[in-house]
Amino acid sequence: MIEFADLAVKKCRKLGADEAEAFVQNQQTVEVVLERAEIQNERFKTHSGIGIRVIRDKKLGFAFASHLSKESIEEACKAAISLADVSTPNPEWVSLPVREKLPKTPEGVFDPEIANMSGSKMLNLVIRAYDEAKHFDKRVVIDDGKFSAILTEMAISNSNGVEAQEKTTRIEGYLICVAKEHGETSSMAYEYDASTTLKEFSPTRIGRTAAEKALASLHSKTTESFTGKVVLEPDPASFILFYPVINSVNADNVQRGRSIWAGKIGEKFAFPELTIVDDGLMPKGINSSSFDSEGVPRQKTPIITQGKLVNFMHNSYTANKEGRKSTGNAYRESYTMLPTIAASNLKVEAGKKTLEEMVSEVDKGIIVRRFSGNVRPDSGEFSGIAKQVSYIENGEIKHALKETMISGNAFQALKNIIEIGSEIRPTEIRAYVPPVLVDGVNIISKQ
Amino acid sequence: MDVLKESLQKKSKLGYAELRYHKRQTFSISVKDGKIDALNSGTVEGACARILKDGSWGFASSTVLEKEKIESMMENAASLAKSSKPKKERLVNLASVKPHVDKYETVMKKDPRKADKEELVKLVLETDKAVRGFSKTIVSDTVTLNIVDDDLIFLSSEGSEIHQRVVRCFGSVTAIAREKGNITSAYESVGAQSGLEILDKTPLMNAGLIAAERASKLVTAKVAPAGYFPVILENRIVGLLAHEAVGHCAEADLVFGGSFLADKIGKKVASEKVTLVDDGRYPNGFGTMNYDDEGVPTEKTVIIDEGVCRNFLHSRETAQHFNARPTGNARAWNFEFDPIIRMRNTYIEAGDYTLEELAEDIKEGFFLKGGLSGQADFNGEFMFGTQEAIRITNGKFADSMRGVTISGNAFEVLKNVDAVGKDFLVRVGLCGKEQINYVGMGGASLRTKLLLGGAK
Repeated sequence: MIEFADLAVKKCRKLGADEAEAFVQNQQTVEVVLERAEIQNERFKTHSGIGIRVIRDKKLGFAFASHLSKESIEEACKAAISLADVSTPNPEWVSLPVREKLPKTPEGVFDPEIANMSGSKMLNLVIRAYDEAKHFDKRVVIDDGKFSAILTEMAISNSNGVEAQEKTTRIEGYLICVAKEHGETSSMAYEYDASTTLKEFSPTRIGRTAAEKALASLHSKTTESFTGKVVLEPDPASFILFYPVINSVNADNVQRGRSIWAGKIGEKFAFPELTIVDDGLMPKGINSSSFDSEGVPRQKTPIITQGKLVNFMHNSYTANKEGRKSTGNAYRESYTMLPTIAASNLKVEAGKKTLEEMVSEVDKGIIVRRFSGNVRPDSGEFSGIAKQVSYIENGEIKHALKETMISGNAFQALKNIIEIGSEIRPTEIRAYVPPVLVDGVNIISKQ
Repeated sequence: MDVLKESLQKKSKLGYAELRYHKRQTFSISVKDGKIDALNSGTVEGACARILKDGSWGFASSTVLEKEKIESMMENAASLAKSSKPKKERLVNLASVKPHVDKYETVMKKDPRKADKEELVKLVLETDKAVRGFSKTIVSDTVTLNIVDDDLIFLSSEGSEIHQRVVRCFGSVTAIAREKGNITSAYESVGAQSGLEILDKTPLMNAGLIAAERASKLVTAKVAPAGYFPVILENRIVGLLAHEAVGHCAEADLVFGGSFLADKIGKKVASEKVTLVDDGRYPNGFGTMNYDDEGVPTEKTVIIDEGVCRNFLHSRETAQHFNARPTGNARAWNFEFDPIIRMRNTYIEAGDYTLEELAEDIKEGFFLKGGLSGQADFNGEFMFGTQEAIRITNGKFADSMRGVTISGNAFEVLKNVDAVGKDFLVRVGLCGKEQINYVGMGGASLRTKLLLGGAK
């Protein structure tokens, strides 16, 4: 793969580019889709191609191609150059990253068992999740789900001597269940998990937890509206609280005045026990690798330390603008995209209390297992439907609640954290998050 | 093309076979705070095979279009159909469809393949400049323009051969305003299935000015309150209601799963003011095509006719199961995916009220504008975000507040519709149902009641 990247960089230089970079990606996915309570489809997908970035007189052009051959790469090089020519110069452009010594590939990010996943093995895995949910309790009905085993190869080369390639694997899956009893249908329960190794991926845990969550929301009642304490499970916690954090520490947003935290490094913004690091080298981290999407070494970057903002996340462009080093947070989801900034593995440090202990501290409040709503990442406003909710009184879960709306402000909520849980889980926003207990959330009854 | 045809003939014994070829060429411009990010263009090209053998589907795709690869892709699909069959409880039968040999191309005056890229760059830079210059409170903006040009070929072992070229032009503007420690953003989009002439008809500049004005206005505004209110939903938001909350419940695969509409054909599910359709042929619609990805001709499907549920949206498979006619709703995002039931352009038909007339009978309520993302469960419980809530007091529009997420049961909300406006439009949308796809959504502003998830 790296030979395609090298070829592209050489060709672009020949065509007159001041600088050039090529990103080659090859992703093989084995996927099983469950729909309407049965195996709907099984697919093998290949997502591969090359993205070429060129700079001439501070003007940038980018072109991509899905076909990896000498001819199509040369054509893409020409396209990238001709686009740079019709663009206007960006006075803030400094340069592509320069070659640096890369750290060792983080431990446990490649598993040959996932890389060589067969269709039948994948199907068996899904059936284990499916059977677990189905046999857990007669009242549980599976709605849909999807399980994927993904092998990603990435190679980067640029005209400043960067040359890197690596293979990583990931297996992930989710299941959506409802529970039905006496004409009542529970709200839809969702459970997700992901791992870099097959050994540590438990489809039965997904099946069981989805079923448990669906059952927990049967026999639902309503409550009056109030403002109070909410236990957010990892999925809703990551979306409501930490998605605005990721947005606000993105150096591109900071530099462009889009972050509420611009110019405020060193200030206290959260509960004093909240510590967040972005760790691109985390062993077995879902998004761990030795280098980022520009070939810059990954690193461990403290973001919030004991409630205090300590760092922003950079790629080479935002770092160069400030004359500092990139934090290795360049990101592209696909070879068709230019690098942006994203967390690698945003890790919210665990607290000491289990979920049960957290619930036991709530005099009056709710526990939210799923959130379907909108979060404004810039201002922090959030509002939406809390699904899979239960009502807590005097430290005990009393009963399920009918779907309830919640609203508030994430930045305010970060200060209103009462407790951080001990069980960290990977969530879908590139973060590892424990459950969090916050105060001051508006709970709005739908009655 | 010939390669695909030959492979299809050679492998005719594998079962019912569909081959799809898809070449997607894209060009995009993104300007951030006056600086061009990098002009971006590219091509993604590939093919896929879907094979039905003894009631079981198999699917495989490839980006290599050589003859041997196409044939082995077909064999892979056939072997998946065979191996997964024992795990499937329901076996597939397809409703019969006449094979079509036909061509379709987006109606265009200005073909983007002949576009002057410098002109387009200029257009985006001008919009960016106007947005940033709108007021002192605008601190940042992003303006994008995208052209997506799809070449599609559908071949089936039943003899279909359909060529379609679908061109979509669309853009968006995000404006960020800051004042006295407050920050807010506003977003607006434009676009259609069209050549570049759509940018003359509905300029990017208009979207830019709407976003800039909204962000400036809302930066110091308070968040709308929580509670159950009479509201006017702006036409652009009505599309979200039509699509998210109602349309999904009419998708036959979800009907099969027991969606709200499952037993409602012929029954009243909405106020008689409501006629809701999913139209595969709406002129310039983002989801318009003459044939779906199973080679079925598209049509205008009436889901709710003056309050009564009439039809579901079908693939060939569900049409057979429900003993209905296929409606041309099987769509795939690209060659990496098999077609599933998707909406095309979903909207509520216009009424005859002006906005002022809609407000007249509201004593205390809100005019909700600017959609954000939405979601619905198949029982009709929905939510979607709004950007702006203009207070209505004694029938008159008053001050603007920051929008909040709204929620309700779609069918209760539709039963409460007592007036529909005449400001009809269909806008661009992206829908994510396992795989994403381009859809149109729209309608006219209407009056109803629902829950605002706002502040205390």
